[in-house]
Amino acid sequence: MTSLLELQDLGVTYRTGEGDLEAVRGVDLTLQPGETLGIAGESGSGKSTVVASVLRLLPKSATVTGRVLLDGEDVGAMRWGRLRAARWSEASVVFQGAMHALNPVQRIGRQIAEPLRLHTGASETEIDARVRELLEQVDLPAAKARAYPHELSGGQKQRVMIAMALACDPRLVIADEPTTALDVIVQAQVLDLLGRLVAERGIGLVFITHDLSVLAATCSRIAVMYQGRIVETGDAKDVITAPRHEHTQALAAAFPEVGDPASRYAPATSEPLPQEGERDPQQPVLLSARELRVHFRDRTGTTVAAVDGVDLDVRRDEIVALVGQSGSGKTTLARTLLGLQRPTSGEVHYDGRPVPTSSSGLRDYRRHVQLVLQDPSSALNPRHTVYESVAEGPRIHRLGGDEHDLVVAALEAAELRPAAQYLTRLPHELSGGQRQRVVIAGALALNPSVLVADEPVASLDASVRGEILGLLLRLRRQLGLAGLVITHDLGLAWNIADRVAVMYRGELVEVGPVDQVLLEPNHEYTKALLAALPSPGPDDARYTG
Amino acid sequence: MTTSPTDQHAADPDERRSGTSTVRYVAGKVGGALVSLVFVVALGFFLFRMIPGDPLATMTRERPTGPEQLAHLRERLGLDQPVWQQFLDYVGGLLQGDFGTSYLYRRPVGDMIAERVWPTLLLVGTATALAVLLGLWLGVRAAWRRGGLFDRTQTGIALALWSMPQFWLGLLLLIATQGVFPSRGMTSVDQPDGFVMQALDVGWHLTLPCLTLLLVIYAQYMLVMRSSLLEEMGADYLRTARAKGLRDDLVRRRHAVPNALLPTMTLIFLQFGMVVSGTVTVEAVFSWPGLGLLTYESLRGPDLPVLQGVFVILAGSVIVMNLIADLLYRVVDPRVRAS
Repeated sequence: MTSLLELQDLGVTYRTGEGDLEAVRGVDLTLQPGETLGIAGESGSGKSTVVASVLRLLPKSATVTGRVLLDGEDVGAMRWGRLRAARWSEASVVFQGAMHALNPVQRIGRQIAEPLRLHTGASETEIDARVRELLEQVDLPAAKARAYPHELSGGQKQRVMIAMALACDPRLVIADEPTTALDVIVQAQVLDLLGRLVAERGIGLVFITHDLSVLAATCSRIAVMYQGRIVETGDAKDVITAPRHEHTQALAAAFPEVGDPASRYAPATSEPLPQEGERDPQQPVLLSARELRVHFRDRTGTTVAAVDGVDLDVRRDEIVALVGQSGSGKTTLARTLLGLQRPTSGEVHYDGRPVPTSSSGLRDYRRHVQLVLQDPSSALNPRHTVYESVAEGPRIHRLGGDEHDLVVAALEAAELRPAAQYLTRLPHELSGGQRQRVVIAGALALNPSVLVADEPVASLDASVRGEILGLLLRLRRQLGLAGLVITHDLGLAWNIADRVAVMYRGELVEVGPVDQVLLEPNHEYTKALLAALPSPGPDDARYTG
Repeated sequence: MTTSPTDQHAADPDERRSGTSTVRYVAGKVGGALVSLVFVVALGFFLFRMIPGDPLATMTRERPTGPEQLAHLRERLGLDQPVWQQFLDYVGGLLQGDFGTSYLYRRPVGDMIAERVWPTLLLVGTATALAVLLGLWLGVRAAWRRGGLFDRTQTGIALALWSMPQFWLGLLLLIATQGVFPSRGMTSVDQPDGFVMQALDVGWHLTLPCLTLLLVIYAQYMLVMRSSLLEEMGADYLRTARAKGLRDDLVRRRHAVPNALLPTMTLIFLQFGMVVSGTVTVEAVFSWPGLGLLTYESLRGPDLPVLQGVFVILAGSVIVMNLIADLLYRVVDPRVRAS
């Protein structure tokens, strides 16, 4: 039997201004019908280039060596007409980032119907019926065919992408990061859907992601890519339980299993943290919210309660994780705590006093409570050097002392050493992890007592994630810094937090120590969040090291 | 703020919302346009009062006039009133559709503008329509093969033409065509009989002024289309379209161009008003009997009522076109409807 997809010694080189870049080297892979193959790797590992080479979607600057066989036929040798006919009808792609992969000004029904019109001779009524059927298959009401992409939520758009990929009944579907940027509950729904479709239709699925735990739940075989090569391949369970290559080990450790004692207070970092010492639970409360409510009025005049009666304390020397789905009100709560959003009612206290509302009072307050944002690439001004970025805070707050010394100390505290080497760099010359450290240094330069971090590692690579979390944990220990970390990632809470607050529809439904809330959840919503985490199946003998 | 369990029953409020917000949107835009119009009227009135030159001196240049007659004339034209009183009278007249009376021709300004507005619309409308078609087509081609020979030569030519003064280009064309096309006016002295023949005669006269205007203005449509298409070229949904197996030209026509047209459309409407006001030189060169030529003639006076009237009409057309662009944008781009 011929394989559905076979990559033979595939190599892709991009011609760039600074010489050639070998994105993919010597990749051999096969996929049989009805099989699910996972490809894991970080950004820059070459996994998306592999996807593009299957349908010959690479830019002109790319040179391909080796062969790609689709159902036994060499894709590289296809003529244009044959290639266009093969695209989507034999192999289709669920592209990464559904918000951009759909045409913003076309109704989704038309976009799903487009390949049908192109590849089948179906009549308009047949096409309409098929579009309805496809939408139902991905659990969307047929009426959504008239919606525009921006009218759908992230999960719905992802389903539309899947419906579109299935339109022409292809035998091979390639899913490129189909669940990244979705929160756990929606991710579980999408994974479940993909698994069901593979089982029902016997299609071959190539599943690409940076999150090994997702692959564990869906794939039979896994290949791990690193710097353009496949460094490890094998049975999914073997790769995850006993990773041989150190990069696989790093990837596996980056997504800890909630409940695994080995990863409690121990994010995957190159400098192991010392044992967690005895801690005084009666530290003074630094930041607290009492009966906090934030209501918005939407265009119809309906009041939406983004934050609906929240009580929360953050003590000195304590990291609190605020978890919840997107839309649960986490970010609004954080903005209100920072004084960026005025509460409708209720109070925020800092160090026992209400947070001022005047602009000068707020400026003083923000010196003590600093914010770290999700995406360091957009949080940093691309034209400011590291020095400028870090020095900006002290200048605004007119901190005394030598500015240069302050900046160097902040960079050292954020573990950018030696600091002198980074001062004149611009953000684009730094890696993602280094940029996030610069953002953190900018916050530390003001010598704050509370850090509020909104998804601090969500846009970083797996191997960097542990380093940044390790830094936050060390900062807490060394400086006694309090932290409020907003995240949808329960593994992060397990890694570094002392207490966790679960937010659902504007309310905190459960607050307590991490071990208690995540291991013995009380509220139904917390249970649902935990149940939605991808798990490798019933035999759960993992992470025994 | 939507969470997945509430998605299903969101349809009804959505539709009601889009209804009320449309009314609010349109009302807001129209209100904004009216405010701009008020500013334009005030600006037009006071701006032209600052032009050097005494209208009375121009009017009486040919014949000797005694001081008594001058005072009488001043009183008749209302120039003896304080400026704010003149302004109030002017606004009051405008509200009743009265633009005042020309100093030089002693005719209602409204009638003069009504006569002159059609030739200008014909000239500007034809030139804009052609320039948009030409510019968009060239822009799409240039962007699709960015950096290619077509892109480089066409961008260069367009920029060169754009930077030329209109009167100079018009004179060049007159010289180059060596009298093949008429050099002045909109109709021949001995007009032919029959509608078709008359239309052809006007078209014949229209050729050179229209070509001049077209050559100068098409570059901006081309360059904006080119850059907005270039911005779309890296978009992920184009990769999706290619992966679906669409031919290259279909990817471009169905997906890239409709998205790239959105910013271009605003420019087309905004620019239409600007082109109208920019016809003064072309109309002057070719003696095309439009608003531009009227302005040119009135500046010598200065014939204040005519200048003010034309100014209000031209500025008003910019405002109205901008309003149309805003409203149309909402129809064409579903995302604007939502926000």
